[in-house]
Amino acid sequence: MAGILEFAPAIVLLPFLSFLIALGAGRYMPKGGALAGIGATAGSFALSVATFFAVSGGQNYNQTIYTWAEGLDAVNLTFGLLIDPLSAMMLVIVTLVAFLVHVFSLGYMNDEGETGLPRYYAGLGLFTASMLGFVVADNLLMAFMFFELVGLCSYLLIGFHFRQDGPPSAAKKAFLVTRFGDYFFLIGVVAVFATFGSAAFAGPDAFPVLAEEALHGEHSVNTFLGMGEQAWFTVVGLLVLGGVVGKSAQFPLHTWLPDAMEGPTPVSALIHAATMVAAGVYLVARMYGFYVLTPTTLAIIALIGGFTALFAATMGVVKKEIKQVLAYSTISQYGYMMLGLGAGGYVAATFHLMTHAFFKALLFLGAGSVIIAMHHNEDMWDMGGLKDKMPVTYYAFLSGSLALAGIVPFAGFWSKDEVLYETLIHGLGGSPILLAAYAMGLLAVFFTGFYTFRMVFLTFHGEPRSGTARDPHGVRWNVKGPLAVLGVLAATAGLVNMVPVEKLFGIKGIDFLHQFLDGSFSSLNAHHYAELMPYSSGYIGGETGTVAIGAAVSLGLALAGAGLAHRLYNVPEPVEHTDKLGGIKTTLYNNYYQDEYQVWIATGIVQPISRALDKFDQGIVDGVVNGLSSVSLFAGGRIKRLQTGVVSNYAALLTLGLTALIIGLGLIGGWFA
Amino acid sequence: MVPPQYYLVLSAAIFCIGIFGLLTRRNALLFLMSVELMLNAANINLVAFSYYWGNVTGQTFGLFVLALAAAEVAVGIGIILTLYRNFDDVDVMNATTMRW
Repeated sequence: MAGILEFAPAIVLLPFLSFLIALGAGRYMPKGGALAGIGATAGSFALSVATFFAVSGGQNYNQTIYTWAEGLDAVNLTFGLLIDPLSAMMLVIVTLVAFLVHVFSLGYMNDEGETGLPRYYAGLGLFTASMLGFVVADNLLMAFMFFELVGLCSYLLIGFHFRQDGPPSAAKKAFLVTRFGDYFFLIGVVAVFATFGSAAFAGPDAFPVLAEEALHGEHSVNTFLGMGEQAWFTVVGLLVLGGVVGKSAQFPLHTWLPDAMEGPTPVSALIHAATMVAAGVYLVARMYGFYVLTPTTLAIIALIGGFTALFAATMGVVKKEIKQVLAYSTISQYGYMMLGLGAGGYVAATFHLMTHAFFKALLFLGAGSVIIAMHHNEDMWDMGGLKDKMPVTYYAFLSGSLALAGIVPFAGFWSKDEVLYETLIHGLGGSPILLAAYAMGLLAVFFTGFYTFRMVFLTFHGEPRSGTARDPHGVRWNVKGPLAVLGVLAATAGLVNMVPVEKLFGIKGIDFLHQFLDGSFSSLNAHHYAELMPYSSGYIGGETGTVAIGAAVSLGLALAGAGLAHRLYNVPEPVEHTDKLGGIKTTLYNNYYQDEYQVWIATGIVQPISRALDKFDQGIVDGVVNGLSSVSLFAGGRIKRLQTGVVSNYAALLTLGLTALIIGLGLIGGWFA
Repeated sequence: MVPPQYYLVLSAAIFCIGIFGLLTRRNALLFLMSVELMLNAANINLVAFSYYWGNVTGQTFGLFVLALAAAEVAVGIGIILTLYRNFDDVDVMNATTMRW
C-alpha cells in the first residue's frame, strides 16, 4: 500500500475523463455516456477507499504537483495535493455519493426518456471532478478555483431543463447568489496572500501556523488598515466566510438553494449531500486552524449556524413539495455543522458532515424514486399510501428520515447530538453567545422531527389521494440499489463515533472518528485544534451528567416533533393542520419574504445606484473621451486643407520656409545687429 | 584673377532664376529645368571656392554633382512621362489627386 497515495491525482482525473468522454462521444455511446461516468466514479471510489485505508495506517501526503506562476521574491501559485484524514474521509463520501447518483440517474434520466443525456453526464462528471479537486486542494487559491468550478457546474446542472421557464432562472439565481459570497472569498484569498505570503493549508509555511506564530509574537506578518494581528485575522476570516455562507446556503445567502430544486433530482442529491453545499463547511474545517485563532469569527459562525438551523427548519414545516421540505432541511442541517464548527466541535461538525451526506443523499434519491412513481408530481398532498406499493423506497426513506430527525440509533442522532453537546459545554464554560446558539439549535430539533415525519406520513402513509398515487409507476434495480446502500449507511454510519456511549458507560476507544482525525499532520489534527480553542468547558452535574441530559433533551424534542407529526398526519385522510397558524403560515410559506426583500434590495437600491453610475459613465467619462476625439477630428478636418496636392504650393512653402529659416538664423547670429 | 564675390553673385542670380521658374511655371518640363539651374548654381559655388583656395577637391565634387544631375534628370523625365500618361498633360496644377 506504500505507493497508493501517489495515485491520488487519478481520483480527480477519472471523473474529468468521464466528462470529456461524455461530452465528446456521449451521443454515440449506449446510455448517453452514463457508463463512462459510472466506471470513472467507481474507479475513483475504489482509489479513495484505498487512500482512506492508507491514511488510517498513518500515511499523509502533501505534495506540490505543479507551479503555474513562480514569483521572484513573491508568492508562488501552485496546484498540489493534501491528503490527510479529513480529505480522505471527504473523498470517500464524495466518490461514493457520486457513484450512486450516477447509477440512480440510469433510472431517473435514461429510463424516463430524457433528452440531452450526454450533456447531463458530462455535467455530473465535471461536477464530481471539481468537488474532488476542491477536497484535495493544498492551498487556498486552488481551493478557490475549484470552488468556482463547482459553482459553474451547479449552474449547468440546475438549468439542465433549459427549455422550461423555472430551471434557467433558478440556475442563474444559484450562480449569482453564491457568486456574491465568493466575491468576498476572493478578496479573502488575496488578503491571505498579502498577509502571509503563502496560502498553503499544511507544511512549513502553512498560513494557519504562521498566524498562530504571529499571535505569539514569534513571526511577523503584514497587517493592513492599521489593525492589530488579532483584528486583521478576524477580518480575513470573515472575508473567506463570505464564500462559505454563499455555498453552504447559510442565512442570508440561503435563498438560492430551495430554487435549485428545479434541477433533476439526482443532481439535487449530489449538490446537497456531497458536493456544492458541503464545500463551504469543508472549507471551514480545512482551515480550522486559522478560524480557531479568532474567537469573534467562531462566535459569528456559531450564531449564523444556530440561527440558520432554526430559521430553515421552521420554513420546512409548511412546504407542499417533497423536495422543498428536503431543501429546507438541508439548509437547516448545514446550520448545525456551522454551529458545531463555531462552537469548537471540529470532530462533531465533520461527523455531521459525513452522516448528513449519507442520509440526505438517501432522502433525495428516495424522493427521486417517489417522483418517478408519481409521474413527476412533487406535491405531497397528491401522494399518500405509497408504503405498500414501493416497500424498498419506503424503508430506505424511513431510515434516512429517522437519521435526519435524530432518533437513536440512526446516524443523525450521534452527530447532531455531539454538535449540540459541544455547543452546550462550551456555552456553559462562559459563552452566552454559544448558549443562545444552542437554544436555537435545540429548538430546531423539534421542528426537524416534525417536518421530517410530516413528509414521511404524507408521502407514504394514509390513503392514496390521487390517481397516480393509487397506481404508481414502478422503479427498477438502478433506483433501488443506491437506496439500499445508503439506507444501510444512514442507519449505521453513526456507530463510528459513539461518544455518548463512551462517556456514559465508560467504554474506551469507540470514538473512531476522533482517533482517525487525530492522525493528521501535527498542525491539522483535532487535538491541536482543541489546544488552540478559545473556549473553556462547563458541565451540569459532571461530564457524564451533561452528556446524558443533552442527549435526553435532544432525543426527547425529536421524538416530540415526530410524535406530533404522527398524531396530526398519520391518519387515513390528513388535512393541512398548519392552516391553523394563519398569518404565520403565510409568512413561513413565503420564506419570511426573504426573496422579496432581496429582490427589493436589487431593484430598489442597487438598480437606482447602478442607473446613476451608468449616467455618470455614459455622460461624464464617455463625454470627456468623445469630446476630445471630436475636437481632434474637427481640427484635423480643417488643417488637412493645407494639403492642396498642387506641387507649386509645396514648392512655395518650401521656399518660404527656407527663407524664414535663413532670416531666423541670421537674427540669432547677429547679422542685423 | 576674378575675385570670388563675382562668382557668388552669379551663382545667387542663377539660383534665384531657378526659384522664380519653379514658383511661376506650370509646365513640368520647365520645373525640371529650373531645378537643374538651382543645382548648377550650387556647382558654381563649389568650383569658385575650389579655385580660390587652390584645391581641386571642390572641382571633383562638381563633376560628381553633374553625374548626379544627369541621373536625376533621367528620373525626372520618367516622372513627367507618367504624369503625361495619367493626365494627358504636363501641367502640374492638374495632378492634385494625391491629397486627402
